[in-house]
Amino acid sequence: MRDNLLDVENLSMRFGGLLAIDDLSFSAKKDNITSIIGPNGAGKTTVFNCLTGFYKATSGSMFLNKDNKKLDLKKFSDFKVAQKAGVARTFQNIRLFPQMSVLENMMVAQHNKLMIASGFSILGLLNAPSFLKKEKEAVEISKYWLDIINLTNRADDNAGDLPYGDQRKLEIVRAMCINPHLLCLDEPAAGLNAKESAELNKLLLFIKNEKKTGILLIEHDMSVVMGISDHVVVLNYGKKIFEGTAKETKNSPEVIEAYLGTED
Amino acid sequence: MNKNFFQSSIKDSLFTGLIALALFGPIVGLRTVAVNEALVVQPKWLVVGLIVLACTIGRFLINIYTFKKEQRRGEPSSISKIITNFLDTKGAQIALGAVIFSVIFPFMPFADRYWMDIAIMMMTYIMLGWGLNIVIGLAGLLDLGYVAFYAVGAYSYALFAIHFGWSFWICLPLAGLFAGLFGILLGFPVLRLRGDYLAIVTLAFGEMIRILLLNWYDLTKGPDGLTGIPRPSFFGLPFKRYPDEGVETFHTFFGLEYSPMQRIIFLYYLILILALITNFFTIKIRKLPVGRAWEALREDEIACKSLGVNPRNTKLTAFAVGAMFGGFAGSFFATRQAFISPESFTFIESAIIVAIVVLGGMGSQTGVVLSTIFLIGLIEVFRDFESYRMIAFGGAMVLIMVFRPKGILATRKPTITMRKEK
Repeated sequence: MRDNLLDVENLSMRFGGLLAIDDLSFSAKKDNITSIIGPNGAGKTTVFNCLTGFYKATSGSMFLNKDNKKLDLKKFSDFKVAQKAGVARTFQNIRLFPQMSVLENMMVAQHNKLMIASGFSILGLLNAPSFLKKEKEAVEISKYWLDIINLTNRADDNAGDLPYGDQRKLEIVRAMCINPHLLCLDEPAAGLNAKESAELNKLLLFIKNEKKTGILLIEHDMSVVMGISDHVVVLNYGKKIFEGTAKETKNSPEVIEAYLGTED
Repeated sequence: MNKNFFQSSIKDSLFTGLIALALFGPIVGLRTVAVNEALVVQPKWLVVGLIVLACTIGRFLINIYTFKKEQRRGEPSSISKIITNFLDTKGAQIALGAVIFSVIFPFMPFADRYWMDIAIMMMTYIMLGWGLNIVIGLAGLLDLGYVAFYAVGAYSYALFAIHFGWSFWICLPLAGLFAGLFGILLGFPVLRLRGDYLAIVTLAFGEMIRILLLNWYDLTKGPDGLTGIPRPSFFGLPFKRYPDEGVETFHTFFGLEYSPMQRIIFLYYLILILALITNFFTIKIRKLPVGRAWEALREDEIACKSLGVNPRNTKLTAFAVGAMFGGFAGSFFATRQAFISPESFTFIESAIIVAIVVLGGMGSQTGVVLSTIFLIGLIEVFRDFESYRMIAFGGAMVLIMVFRPKGILATRKPTITMRKEK
């Protein structure tokens, strides 16, 4: 499976007596949007937390195919997953830096690159031209992404003052600033109105098609899931109950049962 | 509607008067006096009446002057707001004015020994406040043991200067380095802690350093303290009336009359320069990636991790840099006093520095200056009241917290802006 971006094999996560993820295996292809859906409490966010190093999986393995090298994600602890493996994520309840400006949010995402450019602050303190150039580049990258989500004119406002929908989009483009291989989005459409979800779809398709970044998506909003997913994985009680294309998922009796219950 | 408001104001102030009566009636009104070996209650209703009247009228005035405007404009309008607006728009000019004033201050006619000493003390607190501002204001790590680094700086300066006879300009960076190392030492165990837990551990750390200094008699002379710390010299020229044989002093070199003020003025400029270095360093580093990472860490540590920012290194650098400036201030303290003992590094010092930073407005450099002038100045002004002056100190804190809950200057300027880049 050379074109797989992510291979999750027999992943389990146990919290005391609760088995949150039970022997889960799935893969995500390159340049694809893979959705993980399931009823509340099915273990979707737990999968994300294992992938991005916030939890240590009880057993199983996760491999990321980066530049034709297989990286074992289990070996990276929290921030290193983003720094070394290039897995970015967003959160169910938006986690921006609310008291910092929109542009600063984007700059923090480019921290590691800028830190090296600033010679671990020594060159930066001396105003070295090489650092100033890199900083300018980082601002350009931020501007590029802010232009895409139409937030450039609010770049100097506090991120916490933005409307909810813009905060969601900002969190996604901020994650894109670390130049990820895999972007994990945890319910990006939660709380968005119909127009905003349509814009979100456009943004995600742009990331997939133009930036060739694989996307892993947790979502409840079916207009988003069905509209843009190439592949859908359905979880219930920590187990995978179905896997297939969006259309297949819609018609699958197991999925309907998980969401709506059985007919007596 | 206006009439309605007037009525409710009267009602509200009468109610305030009632509370005042209930409170002050028994406390002030009833006084026991010894008459012929028996205790007699002596009522003082006139005083109570005056207090109650003052409370009622005061409340009424607040009602019609402050709350009314609030209703009209939909936002609180008070003197503090006007002051903040003024400081926001004219910040650069005010800062420049303040620097110029502090440079010419020693040559003001009123700048006698007493004022110079206060100015030096205030400047030391401002520097400590700026140093701690990195840790608390930028990185959001509530450090209640900051005085430990001040102590480490003072003691390492004193020990190097006494035992090796090195000059101030060699010992100063060494003391900063030592304090910075202690900052990292404290940083490691508290990496996972936040908020209250962090505050408790740093508090304990501060006490540990003090107790260590008190008990390690061979090195620190314990409670006796270290004496004979060399005074600073002006590029090798000592400030002495009767120098040793063959040594040129400051006043003979410049052909001046000897005056003890020369040394004081030199010390004043020394701490002014050190404080300004701290200030410019902080302003600059805030705009660097590491400074932004500090602030991001204060805002949301989990989001930082998800963006690949190393929280451990970020926190440790904040602790180390903050501690280093504490160490610099400590070595200045040692050379100024020529005597140090653990007495000078008690928890109350930490508390005052934290109060300066928090009341100034977290992360605001100018706010630190304002709150230092306000708090330390008040303590000095009320010196005649002896221990009651701490009431003024507490009162000042309460006033600031009531009128400016986020600190005197709570506005934050972005470290980088788009408009400039265009």
